[in-house]
Amino acid sequence: MSDDPYAILGVNKASSQDEIQKAYRQLAKKLHPDLNPGNKKTEEEFKKVSAAYDVLGDADKRARYDRGEIDAGGAERPKREYYREYAGSTADNKYANADAYNDFADGDDIFSTIFRREARSNFRMRGQDAHYRLELDFLDSVNGAKRQVTLPDGSVLDVSIPPGTRDGQTLRLRGKGMSGLNGGQPGDALVEISVREHPIFTRKGDDIHIELPIPLSDAVLGGKINVPTVSGPVSMTLPKWSNTGRILRLKGKGAPRADGSAGDEYVKLKVMLPDQPDPELEGFISQWHRGTGNQNQATEE
Amino acid sequence: MQRQEFLVRTHLDANVLEAWVAEGWLFPLEQGGDDQFSEIDLARVHLIHDLKGNIGVNDEGIAVILHLLDQLHGMRQALGDFLSTMRTQPADLRERIAAHLNDAAPGNDPQT
Repeated sequence: MSDDPYAILGVNKASSQDEIQKAYRQLAKKLHPDLNPGNKKTEEEFKKVSAAYDVLGDADKRARYDRGEIDAGGAERPKREYYREYAGSTADNKYANADAYNDFADGDDIFSTIFRREARSNFRMRGQDAHYRLELDFLDSVNGAKRQVTLPDGSVLDVSIPPGTRDGQTLRLRGKGMSGLNGGQPGDALVEISVREHPIFTRKGDDIHIELPIPLSDAVLGGKINVPTVSGPVSMTLPKWSNTGRILRLKGKGAPRADGSAGDEYVKLKVMLPDQPDPELEGFISQWHRGTGNQNQATEE
Repeated sequence: MQRQEFLVRTHLDANVLEAWVAEGWLFPLEQGGDDQFSEIDLARVHLIHDLKGNIGVNDEGIAVILHLLDQLHGMRQALGDFLSTMRTQPADLRERIAAHLNDAAPGNDPQT
């Protein structure tokens, strides 16, 4: 949009005051932010159109603008707070009513009940929902924890993290938001969870994945090994001849689910040589290598 | 805020305020026999001023616009509550619901 108020309103220097008012009204009807509660873009456009009309809508100011005595900018207006900011979807709005969807509550399934409840709730002044963020350690998110959030007013909100909570999940604490008016219920506190990474565990859905280093001897011979899980180490039987990349599953050792079940833990093996060079092992391997080499030659003949 | 402060802040004439309340364009809350006004009432008066003034809507039109706007905001609240509830659901459920809604959107053929 250009800065020329005539262009902004879509009129020209020859237009009458009536035509200018008509043009402004056409645009204002379309662009007024309160007539477009869900469209953020209209506010900027409406501001320009209003500023242009401030100049051109008044015959004296328009004449001065035409003579070049004032510019089109006009005085900067203070930021206007529109009705929609108070009437918005999360705000308390005593005027909002359920007439537009009352008919949705007519059925007798579970969703109709929800809309019936919504419909009633509009007549009391429910408190606003309050939004908070909470960062959690990986294990606290998986195993559940109790945390406290300090609110802007200094009071403290106890947040109980249910086991199995995911990164990005929002916990709703009923009635812990802003207080209601006129006997209305308080709003809810919405706590968005972000989970820090863990050095060994990663989570995919409800399953936990880890990479587990195992000594060469266990890889070859098998045996009992200790495996870390989110609920503490468990002992697992390693089958003989377990190679790097083999994945073993520990059933039910993943993240808990709301229904009482849990995901699984997947253990990806990584065979490790001893930390220090071992002449005995080297000697044995070179002997073994020659042995298998001879065998191969034998079968090829 | 009390009636007097509200009149000062809105530059409304007391008779006009009375008429608007009688029309149901505004409804202050009663507290101890006194009318109490809040920020939303202030913003609503600004909106009515805009509509009546520069936009040129007549009184009948104001009533129609406010009535539809109040229904729209009720609808937005319900939709907002519904969405924020949806966002707390497990990922697989959210994905299934999103897929159904996609299918139901105009111009989309349901997946077979």
